[in-house]
Amino acid sequence: MSAANLESLESLEQDALQRIQSAAALADLEAVRVELLGRKGKLAGLSKDMGQLTPEERASRGKLLNRAKQALEEALEQRKSAFEDTALHTRLQAEWVDLTVPAPGVRPGSLHPVTLVQREIEDLFVSMGFTVLSGPEVETEHHNFDALNIPGDHPARDMQDTFWLEGGYLLRTHTSPVQIRGMRKLGPPLRMIAPGRVFRNEELDASHEHTFYQIEGMMVDREISVSHLIYYMKTMLEGLFRREVTVRLRPGYFPFVEPGFELEIQCLLCGGKGCPVCKQSGWLEQLGCGLVHPNVLRMSGIDPEEWMGWAFGLGLTRLVMMRYGIDDIRHLQGGDLRFLRQF
Amino acid sequence: MKFSGNWITEMTGGLDVTTKELAQLVTKKTAEAEGVESVGEHLTMVCAARIEQVEQIEGSHNRKAVVETKLYGTRTVVCGAPNCRPGIMTAYVPAGCVLDGRRIEKAVIAGVESDGMLASGAELGLNRETAGILELNAEPGTAIPGCGPDSIIEIDNKSLTHRPDLWGHHGMAREVAAILGRPLRDPVDLSLLPEGEGAIGVNIEDYALCPRYSALVFENVTVAPSPLWLQYRLEAVGLNPINNIVDVTNYVMAEIAQPMHAFDAATLNGGTIYVRRARAGERMVALDGEDYALDEQALVIADGEGAVAIAGVIGGLNTGVTEKTTRIVLESANFQAGSVRKTSSRLKLRTDASMRFEKAQDPHNTLRGLARAVALLRQVSPGIRLVGGVADDKGELVPAPPIDLPLDWLRRKLGRSVPSEQVRSILESLSFGVAEVKAGEFQVTIPSWRATKDVSIKDDLVEEVGRMVGYDTIAPEPPLVPSSPPPENPERNYLHQVRLACAAQGFTEVSNYSFVNQAQIAELSLPEADHVKVLNPISSDQGLLRTSLMPGILRSVRDNSRHLDNFRLFELGHEIHKRAGDLPNERLHLAAAVYSKAGDGQAGLFEAKRLAECLLKNAKVRQTEAKAWEHPARAYEVVWRQQAVGRIAELHPNLATGRAAVLDLDLTLVQEMGSEAVKYQPLQRYPSSAFDLSVLAAERQPVVEIEDLLASYAGPQLQGIEFVRQYVGPPLAAGQKSVSFRLRVASSQKTLSAEEITAIRAQVIAGMEKSGYELRV
Repeated sequence: MSAANLESLESLEQDALQRIQSAAALADLEAVRVELLGRKGKLAGLSKDMGQLTPEERASRGKLLNRAKQALEEALEQRKSAFEDTALHTRLQAEWVDLTVPAPGVRPGSLHPVTLVQREIEDLFVSMGFTVLSGPEVETEHHNFDALNIPGDHPARDMQDTFWLEGGYLLRTHTSPVQIRGMRKLGPPLRMIAPGRVFRNEELDASHEHTFYQIEGMMVDREISVSHLIYYMKTMLEGLFRREVTVRLRPGYFPFVEPGFELEIQCLLCGGKGCPVCKQSGWLEQLGCGLVHPNVLRMSGIDPEEWMGWAFGLGLTRLVMMRYGIDDIRHLQGGDLRFLRQF
Repeated sequence: MKFSGNWITEMTGGLDVTTKELAQLVTKKTAEAEGVESVGEHLTMVCAARIEQVEQIEGSHNRKAVVETKLYGTRTVVCGAPNCRPGIMTAYVPAGCVLDGRRIEKAVIAGVESDGMLASGAELGLNRETAGILELNAEPGTAIPGCGPDSIIEIDNKSLTHRPDLWGHHGMAREVAAILGRPLRDPVDLSLLPEGEGAIGVNIEDYALCPRYSALVFENVTVAPSPLWLQYRLEAVGLNPINNIVDVTNYVMAEIAQPMHAFDAATLNGGTIYVRRARAGERMVALDGEDYALDEQALVIADGEGAVAIAGVIGGLNTGVTEKTTRIVLESANFQAGSVRKTSSRLKLRTDASMRFEKAQDPHNTLRGLARAVALLRQVSPGIRLVGGVADDKGELVPAPPIDLPLDWLRRKLGRSVPSEQVRSILESLSFGVAEVKAGEFQVTIPSWRATKDVSIKDDLVEEVGRMVGYDTIAPEPPLVPSSPPPENPERNYLHQVRLACAAQGFTEVSNYSFVNQAQIAELSLPEADHVKVLNPISSDQGLLRTSLMPGILRSVRDNSRHLDNFRLFELGHEIHKRAGDLPNERLHLAAAVYSKAGDGQAGLFEAKRLAECLLKNAKVRQTEAKAWEHPARAYEVVWRQQAVGRIAELHPNLATGRAAVLDLDLTLVQEMGSEAVKYQPLQRYPSSAFDLSVLAAERQPVVEIEDLLASYAGPQLQGIEFVRQYVGPPLAAGQKSVSFRLRVASSQKTLSAEEITAIRAQVIAGMEKSGYELRV
């Protein structure tokens, strides 16, 4: 290569690099590329006469040209990617989103508080080998009273204000009839619980409802004692309250058990010292329970000399109110979503 | 039931604990004490005082009285009572004493300084006498005789349901004596009963209804107010003092649970008392002034003329004791619990007597009642004389058979062992008879007052021993039983899945009543005759049982639309359908509603449909005839596996402002249909191809019908058909729409060629055109 040619290559390169650096847009870069590196570009021009050179000259000129070409390509590429970065950055900045605006679409609804607590108790007992049974809301006198050892003139019928229906039927006053259905369906030994809606003819106010929920439970096996009953009740209550509880039994009268108990737990708020929640007694009434009365077993075809059992009935509604601090029972059947959505 | 601590203490010869502690012990071992209340605390400060001098205060109805109190010296008080006169002995209340929560202070009344006060019986809480100040027979400075502070234990009546004996103080004293290990004194002295023939005849028609009727006749009776101690005691346990004769009957009832009644003998016709069923149309005016219509189911006490008392419930007005009475017939009877309960509830009249008889009282107690009354009447009506012996008619009183109590069985029941000597002493302290007939087994005889209903089998004795050793001595222990998975309840699990799915779709669970009223069902055109009627509803508003969840859902929609513009709610509940000769058919339903105050309601309907699809895979809807309460053009059936399982509709706009789409599914039916077993389909081996078709159809032609038609023409190689969009408007003619579908075809044998695909497409188009549809190709 002649010295003049050499010089012109150097200045060409310097000049092009200068233009690349100062390019304002991608189009300027393209212009430089076409002018220098294109098929008919200046570098191509400089290699036109290569055929006339000696092999040594050709090799050295080729080397020089290649170096210049590489340097320019590199510079172009760098500059181009800088332009692309800027463009991307600008586009992304334009895509700013205010995520504090509420997201569209439906939110999950919620389950009734009675459903929630009922499900907890069901799961607890199922994990201990109990089956969950259901029964009808409309019952016969036989299932609701007679088979539970509550004959026609029994004073216990006074304790229950029954809704009577045409046809001699009634709305069940407790979930206990499901005990009868369960014993007849499953036979001994058995472990069952039965949650459900029950009815008492009571005027409605903040603490009285004619429609409320109970859970009934029963176990029948060869050897069942008061000690076992206490064990299951304590286990259930500890599961429910998620802490250790102290339980106590005191005599309670339910015709379908003998002996019958009222089960209380030591007040969770004051620990038994006495406070407004436990009405200063230190104890909170939880449920009624007892050993299944032999007449009840017998009437359901189970021999009381061979089998024993315990049973309990728990006011689910009351438990729900305690759990969530609900002060007015009417909310539960009231259907007000402002209340129900809190659960 | 209120129990006086003093009264109990008299029979146990003292207590070793405070009344409060006693109440806690009774709660743990016998019956629930609801509270302890102190009464008469002020009586420690009140004393008898003689009025020395009385002077009218000018310009006032009050008088200035100077009284000698001894205890507090001579005091001057202002008194307005009409019987305030010199020489009488009355009750003086010093300043600083608290009466009924009010502290008595020195005060200037009508210009005169009054230092304390003179009090009436009502002011002192001794009786209900307000007419004047007390007139006592006592020495100045002494306490009012027989009236001191007392503690009243209130026992929950419900916990006494099975214990007839605990409706009197003596029964409770027996429990207390057993709990504290103290002796028990019997207030009854049977030797007071006179020998000989009764002075009146008794004739019981049916011993089943009246196992025993005992009576005594007294003459030379003086009817007057009872002594203060008697009035005070009745008052303390919540009974109203009336006169000495009636008060004695009430006192005996409160003491030994034997209700009694006194007749004015002069008003009775004939010499015989009949215990018989009431005659049809028979009436009686009772002591409460009410005129009761009786029927043949009611048992009455009658004289030769007619009913003089409703047995076990209330006495007659015309035969009761009055100030003029000088001769009485005192009734102490026993009536069948069920009969009294029925009569009392039919007449809507519960009395202290009926409450006790309902619990099955002990027929052996009638004579005890009379003996106790003899002693008391002699105290309160000096000069009273018995006439003749006890008239006593009774059926056969069969003693309860003894109970065999195997001690090992007792241990198994309680879950702890109790030494046999302890078992014996517990039972004996409660007046059971205990004999060891063989090793490890007691034969236990039941006291008559526990044998009427309460105790009859060995299980009843488990309670007696258990409560007295204390249930807190039994340690909780799990039973040794085989462990196995419990029988499944698929319905429960399914319901819970339904609940969770509804909540996930934005619906909130509500719970409505099972009751509906006429207006509610009329609104939804549900025939009243289909509903089960409640015979004794709380209000006529709740007289029917629901045959649909919709009335409740409608209520919830309306109530919530007052506060919220948009909401979704659902309920799971039973529909209750009448069934001849059997329990009603209860069907579990899901009802859901989507409400929107604004908008055209379409979105809600589609949400309801989506919920149905979430719950029932591949559920379809088809338009159906609208019911009266549904939007006439927006009612659909939900079809699942070729069966109609529910409905989707918009509520008729007349029923609610805004738009509410409702879904109602018969989950019982869905459950009965069961789940279909999942069977694996091999994956497509050869590629599929798709082509689009747009069909012109009448605007109200359901898309699903066009889709089904397309599918039928596409043949077995159709893999799927997808709705793409529909269009209404120009250039289409009015009443027309264009619906676009994407059809996907493939073969399980090979890759379809372009020619084959075109052939399928042509076949579909030809079919559709033959069916009268134009295609926009």
